[in-house]
Amino acid sequence: MTKMNQKSKKSLESKSRRDFFKKTSVLSVAAAGTLVPVVLSADDQAIMHHTKWGQSWGDAVTKNLYGIPSAYEHNNTRRYTKLLASGNYRASIAVTPIHESEGIITPNGLFFSRSHGGTAHIDPNEFRLMITGLVDKEIVLTLDQLKRYPSVTRTHFIECPANGGQEWRRPQYNSLQFAKGFMACAEWTGVYIKTILEDLGLSSKVQWMLAEGSDNSEMGRSVPIDKILDDAMIVWGQNGEALRPEQGYPVRLLLPGWEGNLCVKWLKRLDFSEEPWFAKEETSKYTALKPDGKAIQHFYANEVNSTVVSPSPEKPWKDLKDGDVVEIQGLAWSGMGTITTVDLSFDGGKNYVEASLKGLVLPKCWTRWSYIHTYKKGDKLLLTSRAMDDAGFIQPTIDQEVSVMGVESIYHRNAVETWEVTENGEVNHVQIRS
Amino acid sequence: MFKLDHKLLSVTVATVLFSTLSFASSEIVKKEDISGGVQYPIVGNQTHLYRVNPNAYGLKLNHGRLATKNELKAWDKDVMPDGTGLPEGSGSVEEGEELYEAQCVMCHGDFGSGGGGYPSLSKGNAVELQKTLTNNRWKDPEAEGPVRVFGSYWPQASTLFWYIRDAMPHTKSKTLSDDETYALTAYILNINEMEIDGEEVDDEYVLNREKFLKIKMPNVDGFVPNISGPDALKGIRAFYREPKNYGAIKVEKSKRCMKNCQEPSAKIARVQGAGISDFHPPMNVSKDLPDKKEDSVHKMSFDAEKAYEASCTMCHGAIAPAAKDKDAWAPYVEKGVEKVYANGINGTNKGMPALGGSSLTESEFKQVVDFMLK
Repeated sequence: MTKMNQKSKKSLESKSRRDFFKKTSVLSVAAAGTLVPVVLSADDQAIMHHTKWGQSWGDAVTKNLYGIPSAYEHNNTRRYTKLLASGNYRASIAVTPIHESEGIITPNGLFFSRSHGGTAHIDPNEFRLMITGLVDKEIVLTLDQLKRYPSVTRTHFIECPANGGQEWRRPQYNSLQFAKGFMACAEWTGVYIKTILEDLGLSSKVQWMLAEGSDNSEMGRSVPIDKILDDAMIVWGQNGEALRPEQGYPVRLLLPGWEGNLCVKWLKRLDFSEEPWFAKEETSKYTALKPDGKAIQHFYANEVNSTVVSPSPEKPWKDLKDGDVVEIQGLAWSGMGTITTVDLSFDGGKNYVEASLKGLVLPKCWTRWSYIHTYKKGDKLLLTSRAMDDAGFIQPTIDQEVSVMGVESIYHRNAVETWEVTENGEVNHVQIRS
Repeated sequence: MFKLDHKLLSVTVATVLFSTLSFASSEIVKKEDISGGVQYPIVGNQTHLYRVNPNAYGLKLNHGRLATKNELKAWDKDVMPDGTGLPEGSGSVEEGEELYEAQCVMCHGDFGSGGGGYPSLSKGNAVELQKTLTNNRWKDPEAEGPVRVFGSYWPQASTLFWYIRDAMPHTKSKTLSDDETYALTAYILNINEMEIDGEEVDDEYVLNREKFLKIKMPNVDGFVPNISGPDALKGIRAFYREPKNYGAIKVEKSKRCMKNCQEPSAKIARVQGAGISDFHPPMNVSKDLPDKKEDSVHKMSFDAEKAYEASCTMCHGAIAPAAKDKDAWAPYVEKGVEKVYANGINGTNKGMPALGGSSLTESEFKQVVDFMLK
């Protein structure tokens, strides 16, 4: 390369760089409407300095043989509140930090924890599963024997039907974690109950199965045989490892899409019968009182639902600049089928545009959705998402749902929910209702 | 009918109305399920997008062993509305009240009034309170809501007997005898001002199996869909096939509302003040190193005060001495701190459950005691 060539190349480069800066400053002037002086940023000390982790040994592999999250992630935890403190935080709940969730899998340590008498700690060597009632063969299985059946692995959410249940009359939580965090999603491994039943001779009279836990509350629920012969599972695996104690270690029932309390934890007994049992948690609780004074009992499936995850009250848009292109994204789920559509509204549910689904779209499973948005500084928005499933259901407005269910039913609230984005980019939980 | 037969299963799949969706190269088969939703039957080697091993189904796998008669009996404790599982025995309201004062009142309150987040067992006359179930606080936050306690709401008394005997008290469940369970049941019927067969369950009442089976709960007909009898499942399927029954809406995708979908009368409702915001730990999304005292994940030290608040304050401060209440503790401390430790660790017959019903270790428990005696 000749000297002249080098020189002309250099001048060309600097010319194009100047042009670039010229163009961008014009663009930013056009976008902002006022002239912003170009400030050369100071050198970033995170780049200019050596870091301590770059100049010294890291931990030996012998440390933390069961890994834990970075210490900097300590705020990503389940949380609880005194309002739901029943039973000295035993008959109680700690909820999932949905605002920090990624993808469709909840890490085992963040999976919401709900029990009716505290988390039981079961010695797996003393675990027994008894299958009894109207079957030709009443049997007992150890954990090893249970795991000998051909297994299936499925990704499903589990949701407490009281998710959003404190907000029938008005919004109460300015928080995604508490407004929607009575749920989580995991990959479960276990055996279909129908696989076990093949050999047991189930009587044709059977309509019901009682699932009973071995914890101090002997949590029990009657399950219709339809579900048992469809996709009901007894699971021991959660996201590639044993269930956590909070999820029923060593074994829980999993009824994909149905109320979390039906998925009985610390499972010990399955009893088959012609009649249901009227267990405590299927009458005194988990029944939805309507305005005519009648309550819906055995309200099985969690209905189609969705939420905006980003932004959220916890993760607002205060740092966004005018013209920033951002992804609005969230979760949709239905215990009645598979998500087909998510629509997004910017005006609190008056008008909708269709968002895109992304990633795996599986039955009775969290589904991520996405919408690309150009942020305008100072815009006030009311972000409302609305999902549909392949059973044909669509989320109702709050007014539509309340007109049938009233405001006292506690459970199964799935009306659309709204985040207000203020002109400063703060995000508040609001409801649009008459 | 429910014997799993592969031929039968495929006939069912073929005859039940099912729809197929075209999805990539495979077809997703679905059919209606009992909850109003859809299920995805295994067809060939597939259910929805999941592949399955078709040879894993229709097997008769002979795992486990037959249960013995004694084993079946040991775990068969459920009590059904028709009296199945309800033992012989008896207990009086008077005995029930005594048991209640000793083992239940610290959580469920005087006369079952509840408190501290524990369920109320009574709010007064069951028949009268059943009428509150049509109360709905649509607009007026001061209005009376529906009262959902045992007497006014529960459809079956068998639930109460079963739950008390199996699950109460939570800190030492499965320790009440059948007679004690009858006595507690009688007491709870008494505080709900209930009648059996026209007879008031008064302070002198003695409950037994025969009388128990005559209990008619005021709200027995208060629930839909019906779940009892040979046609129950048929009824449930029909109930959930009708979305209007439970506030749901079905619509074809092409016909869903995209413009002017909100009720014109709808306004913005906001969280009042800070709303419910006593979150633990407090809401925080920063990525920083934990304050050692506050950190729950990377826990460095045991916090006796927090443990006290979480596990002890339901009773201590209400019916037992509160932390740091030197006067109240004086008579106990007089006998020596070791005795206080021992009472707490082993429990007493005056209502203190072993380790306070907590899952603390003994050394953690002693730290809590030290905190309380400060």
